[in-house]
Amino acid sequence: MFHRILVEEWQRVLTTISFGIFLVTFGIIALRTWRMPRESIRRLENLPLENDTNDHE
Amino acid sequence: MTNTATKTTIEYDDTPVRQFMIASIAWGIVGMLVGVLIATQLAFFQLNFNTPWLTFGRLRPLHTNAVIFAFVGNMMFAGVYYSTQRLVKARTASKFLSQLHFWGWQAIILAAAVTLPLGLTRGKEYAELIWPINIAVALIWVVFGINFFWTLGRRNERSLYVAIWFYISTIITVAMLYIVNHLSIPTSLTHSYPIFGGVQDALVQWWYGHNAVAFFLTTPILGIMYYFLPKAAGRPVYSYRLSVVHFWSLVFLYIWAGPHHLLNTSLPRWLQSLGMIFSLMLWAPSWGGMLNGLLTLRGAWDKLRTDPVIKFFVAGVTFYGMSTFEGPLLSIRPVNALAHYSDWIIAHVHAGALGWNGFMAAGMFYWLAPRLWNRPLHSVAAANMHFWLGLVGILLYVSSMWVSGITQGLMLSATHENGTVLANPNFLDAVTSTMFLMHIRALGGFMFLAGFIILAWNIWKTASGAQAVNGTVEVFVEEKPKAMGLIGGFANAPVIFITLLIVFAMGWGALPRVASGICLWAFLGTFMAMIAHKEFTKATWGQWYERLLENALPFTVLTAVSVFIGGIVQIIPTVIIDTAENIEGVRQIPYTPLELAGRDIYVREGCYNCHSQQIRTLVGDVLRYGDYSKMGESIYDHPYQWGSKRTGPDLAREGSKYPNSWHFFHMRDPRQISPGSRMPNYPWLFTDQTDIASLRRKIEVQRKLGVPFKETTKDEIAASCLAQGEEIVANLKTASAETTPDREIVALISYLQKLGKSEKVGPHGEQPAEPAKTEPPKTAAK
Repeated sequence: MFHRILVEEWQRVLTTISFGIFLVTFGIIALRTWRMPRESIRRLENLPLENDTNDHE
Repeated sequence: MTNTATKTTIEYDDTPVRQFMIASIAWGIVGMLVGVLIATQLAFFQLNFNTPWLTFGRLRPLHTNAVIFAFVGNMMFAGVYYSTQRLVKARTASKFLSQLHFWGWQAIILAAAVTLPLGLTRGKEYAELIWPINIAVALIWVVFGINFFWTLGRRNERSLYVAIWFYISTIITVAMLYIVNHLSIPTSLTHSYPIFGGVQDALVQWWYGHNAVAFFLTTPILGIMYYFLPKAAGRPVYSYRLSVVHFWSLVFLYIWAGPHHLLNTSLPRWLQSLGMIFSLMLWAPSWGGMLNGLLTLRGAWDKLRTDPVIKFFVAGVTFYGMSTFEGPLLSIRPVNALAHYSDWIIAHVHAGALGWNGFMAAGMFYWLAPRLWNRPLHSVAAANMHFWLGLVGILLYVSSMWVSGITQGLMLSATHENGTVLANPNFLDAVTSTMFLMHIRALGGFMFLAGFIILAWNIWKTASGAQAVNGTVEVFVEEKPKAMGLIGGFANAPVIFITLLIVFAMGWGALPRVASGICLWAFLGTFMAMIAHKEFTKATWGQWYERLLENALPFTVLTAVSVFIGGIVQIIPTVIIDTAENIEGVRQIPYTPLELAGRDIYVREGCYNCHSQQIRTLVGDVLRYGDYSKMGESIYDHPYQWGSKRTGPDLAREGSKYPNSWHFFHMRDPRQISPGSRMPNYPWLFTDQTDIASLRRKIEVQRKLGVPFKETTKDEIAASCLAQGEEIVANLKTASAETTPDREIVALISYLQKLGKSEKVGPHGEQPAEPAKTEPPKTAAK
C-alpha cells in the first residue's frame, strides 16, 4: 500500500526537497552565467549575425 | 605563438533544408486537413461515413502524429540543418546521411499515414505507430544524430551557440524517451504489447508524452528562435546570459513534469506532487525565454508592421508565453480537476501547436524561401493575409475550446444536496450544451488551414522557375585545440567533489541513523577538502565550465545527465516496485481469450480517444462512475487505456452496467440509445469476424509480461471463445438482437462487460478474501 498511506507522509518534505534541488541547480547556473566574461558573451551572441552569401541577396 | 589559420570557402548543403521545408508544408496541410475533418466530425457524426478508416478514433492519431512528427518534425529538421551549418561554420558532414534522413523520415510518415487509418496501432497517444515503424524511427533518429554530431566535430567555430545546445538536448532526450516508451513484445508483424502495464504504462507514457511536447515541440523550436529571430531582427539576442539560464533550467525541469497528466488518478501521490511542483517551476525559465525572444526586437519594433517574418515570430513567441503560462496553471491539482478530460486541454495544446509551432514554422519558411531560391518572396501581401487568417483562426479555436472545456468541467463535476447528488447526471448534457462551440472550433481550424494553403502557394510561386542556391562563406580554419574528451571532461576536481557532496548529502537524508551520521561527517569532510584543494592548487573551476561549452561530447553527456535525473527518480521506483504487492487491496481479474480479442478491437478503433478508463479521486467522478480507480484494477492492461479526454463517459466500471443488448444497439447506432450522441456508428463490427487465430501468440506474450493467463492450446482458446460467444449471442437473442458468436461485436461486448471486474485481495496480494465485487454508481448517471 505505498500509495496514499505511507507516501502521504512524504508530502510535507517533498515540496521542500523539490525546491531545494531546483534552487541549487538554478543558483549554480545563474552564478556561472553571471560570471561569463563580457567579451565571450559579445562573441557568442553575434554568431547568428555573421552572414553568408544567401544573406546578401 | 604563430597564427596557423588558413582561409577557405565553405559551401553549405542547403538541399536537405529545401527538402524538409517542402515536406513540412505538404504534410502540415495533410495533418491540418485531417484535423479540420475530425473537428467537424464532433459536430456532425455523419462525417464518419460509416467507414472504418474514416472514423474519429482512427483519424485522430493520424492528425496528432502528422502534426507532431510530419509537420513540426520536418520543420525542425529544416531549421536545424540550416542554422547548425552556419553556427558552426561547417558544411553538413554527410550528404548521404542527410538524404537517408530525409527519405527515411518521409517513408516513416507515409507508413504512419497508411497504418493508422487501417487501425494498426499500439493504443498509446502519440506513440501509436506499430513496432516496425518504431524501429525505423529510432534508426533514422540515430542517422540524424550521427550527421549532427559529425558536423559539430568538423566545425570551424570553437564555441557552441545556445541554439546548438537546444538541438543537442533534443537529440539525446527524444532518443531516450522514444526507446523507453516503445519497448514492446511483438505478437505479429503489425501488432505488439508494450512491456509496461497499468499504472507503470501510464507513467512511462506521460513521461514520454509530456516530454515529446518539451523536447520535440519546444526545445528545437527554441533553438530555431535563438537563431532565426536575431537574424530577422538584425540584432543579437536580448540577453545571452538569460538564454543560458533558460536552457539549463528548462532542460533540468521539464523532464520531471510528466505526471501532471495523471493528477487525481491512481498514480502514487508523491509522483503527482513532483509533477505539479516541477510544472510550476517551469514558469520561470519558460517566461525568461519568451521575454528574451520578444526583447530581442528592442529598437526594431517598427519591423512588426511591415515584415511578415517578424509578425509570425512575435505572435509565435507570444503564444509560447501563453501556452507555458497555461501549462503550469493546468498542472495545479484543483485546476486540473476542472480542466482534465475536457476541451480546455484541447485549447491548450492547440495554442501551442498552432500558435507556437505553426507560426514559428511560417516565420521561418518566409525567411528561408527567398534565401534558398535567391528570389524575393512572391507576395508579402499574401503572407500578411496568411498571418491574419491564422491568428483569427487560432483565437476562434482556442477561445471556443476554453469555453467548451470549462463548461464541460463545471457541468460534469456539479453536485446538489451537499455534494451527494450529481447536478447533471446525463453525460450527454455536457456534450449537447457545447455543440455550437464545436462549429466555431472547426471554423477556426479551417481558417488556420486556409492560411497555410496560402503559404504553400506563396512559396511555390517564389521557388518556381528560380535557381536553388546554397549559401557560401569564407572562414579562417584554425588548428583545433586539444579536446577535453569524456575522461578529461569528468575526471576532474569540480565533478568529483560535487558528485561526492551530492552522494553524501543524499545518504545523510535517506540512510538509517548511524550511516546517516557517517554521511554527514563525510559531507563536511568533503566540503573542507574541496576548500583546501581550491586554496592549494589555486584552481578556478569556472575554466572547466568554459571549456565544457567548447567541447561537444562532454557537454552532451552533461545535458544527458540533467535529463536522466528526472527520469530515473520517477520511472525506476514505479517500474521496479512489485505491482502484485502494491495494488491497494484490489486486483484486476484477467481477461478471457474472447475478452482479450475484444480489447484489441477497442484499441484498434481508438476508443481511448474519447473514453477514459480512470475514475479520479474527485466527488463528481465517484458519484457518476463509482468508487475511484485503484492501482490494482488495471495492472494487467498492456497497454493501459486510462485515456486523456472524455468526449464520452468514463468506462472504467462499464461492465454489467447495461445489458449486452444495450451495447449491441449502441454500437450499431449510438443515437438509438443515447439521443444527441456524437459517437460514430460501427457497422463493420457486425460483419467482420473476430481474429481468434492470433490469440495464442497474444496470450503467450501476455504471459511473458506477467499476466496470469493459463497455458492453453489453440483449440482450447477457440473453444473458450466459442462458448463465451454463444452465451452472449443467446442473451442477445432474448432482446431481438441477432448475430453469431464469431462476430467482432460479440468480442467487444465481452470486453466491455468485463471492465471494472476485480477481486479483493490481502495487503500483499494474497488470494481473494471475499468474492469479486463491483460497486455500481451511486446515482443513475449515464
